[in-house]
Amino acid sequence: MLDRVLTQPRAKCRKVTLPDRLAALLVWTVATLVAGMLLWIVLDLLRHGLPHLSIGFLLDAPRDAGRAGGIAPVLVATAMILIVSLAVAVPLGLATALLLSEYIRRGSRFAGFVRHALEVLAGVPSIVFGLFGNALFVRYFGMGYSVAAGGLTLACMVLPLFVRASEEALRSVPDDFRRAADALGLTRAAAIRSVLLPAALPGILVALVLSTGRALAEAAALLFTSGYVLRVPESLGDSGRTLAVHIYELAMNVPGGESQAYATGVVLLGALLLINLLTALLGRRYGAQVQGVRR
Amino acid sequence: MRRLLLGVLALALAACGNGDQTADSATGGRLEITGSSTLAPLIAEIGARFEAAHPDARIAVQTGGSSRGISDAAEGLADIGMSSRELTETEQRRLRQHRIGVDGIAVILHRDNPVDRLSREQLVALFTGGVDNWQEVGGADRAVTVVDKADGRATLTEFLRFFDLPREAIAAHLIIGDNQHGIRSVAGNPGAIGYVSVGAGTVEAERGTAIRLVAIDEQWPTLETVRNGDYALTRDLILVSGAEPSALTLAFIDFVRDAAVHDLYADFGYVPAAE
Repeated sequence: MLDRVLTQPRAKCRKVTLPDRLAALLVWTVATLVAGMLLWIVLDLLRHGLPHLSIGFLLDAPRDAGRAGGIAPVLVATAMILIVSLAVAVPLGLATALLLSEYIRRGSRFAGFVRHALEVLAGVPSIVFGLFGNALFVRYFGMGYSVAAGGLTLACMVLPLFVRASEEALRSVPDDFRRAADALGLTRAAAIRSVLLPAALPGILVALVLSTGRALAEAAALLFTSGYVLRVPESLGDSGRTLAVHIYELAMNVPGGESQAYATGVVLLGALLLINLLTALLGRRYGAQVQGVRR
Repeated sequence: MRRLLLGVLALALAACGNGDQTADSATGGRLEITGSSTLAPLIAEIGARFEAAHPDARIAVQTGGSSRGISDAAEGLADIGMSSRELTETEQRRLRQHRIGVDGIAVILHRDNPVDRLSREQLVALFTGGVDNWQEVGGADRAVTVVDKADGRATLTEFLRFFDLPREAIAAHLIIGDNQHGIRSVAGNPGAIGYVSVGAGTVEAERGTAIRLVAIDEQWPTLETVRNGDYALTRDLILVSGAEPSALTLAFIDFVRDAAVHDLYADFGYVPAAE
């Protein structure tokens, strides 16, 4: 309704005045600037990073504190930490989302509490997650700087995002599905397993991809949990350096590490773009499917 | 679902189990090293060479600053702490020190700043706000931007000690953390003055970054002058260990001080301690 009012041609309402034009100009300029900023960042990264990028860069071990060689161990460590964090965040997040969407009323006090807690958690700066992870996993649980500690810290961090997105996915499954399941005499668990989860799967995949993107970009939370070691982690108890931490370390602590930092940045940006593309594709398919169901 | 939860549990257990491997021979096992971000890249490189020589050993180097390294070593959270500042008396009582090298601290300006030498008095005036235009010390008509290090940074501590200044005296326009951050801040501002490790500054200046290392009272900050003592503003690079270091800890510290890895010090612009 509101949409329709706002998008009505202005000329029909009243004459276009000078302030009106100025406002339009301002909005366009600002929007162009914002888009330009992204373009600038990407171009800057590519300009400095691309000359150092090659297949060897992805497959070689780093030498000379990362100033030469490649980033193979960094890629492996990043993948390990991601897998740990998702392996923890996905079941926990899915259970919470199911609770919020299927087991309790939307307006109930407990639902409000859980949702509020998640919102606060989502707003906590990632360096605070890092300190928390350091105190709890690294020290209290004695995991030391390790892939496990880093992955668990990241899991805490992406949990709110994952819960929110998968709750949305579950809610957008039409209630007809639930009624049909009831009519067939399915228990709630059976209905969830064989009706709701499959129906919501594309949306949950979107949630998964979004969380992966968030985790991939994180450096601050990992500085004090998974650490800096530039070697392929041999177990979950070993420290490992992720792409984002590698960029930070090269740019901040290694004299002359800047060009390699740029090249690593291009790799990270590429991974993130790939993930965004994946989200967009899944989202489109998901949207189409839901519309199809409603029709 | 159940399978997933079991998987998570297994992961967690695996993680805990791997946390406490202990050394079974003199050069096998795992060493945790934390501390100075100035030292970390060098020690990590030496660690890689140590691992190549002793396949059973694993050297894990983490950074976080000198103070962190010292406290981690004191609390036993790390086997070795890296410090690029002097230890306080209380710290000295609890830890063993192993001096491994020397690093100078250089005052840096933007490359386009014509000033190339400053006296001690001029530097104090610049950093405390007494001089706020480069004209007053022979430069162009341009405002001075003082780039200072954040509290707790080893470079800051040693810098203040050299000029005998209290922390509050520095009239900073910009507070930065890591070495590279300082270099970039100065390279991006023609009126800036800052200070960094001679090693990091030299390496960056050689690579074409827009900075200039200036002389203090005619003493030029170079690797050579730091090595032979002609440059006064220096600091020791130190490894600290608990009172009773393990055999592996001692073996690694010996390795760090061995002449065979001195080429690595040069890569980072540090001077290894004389044997």
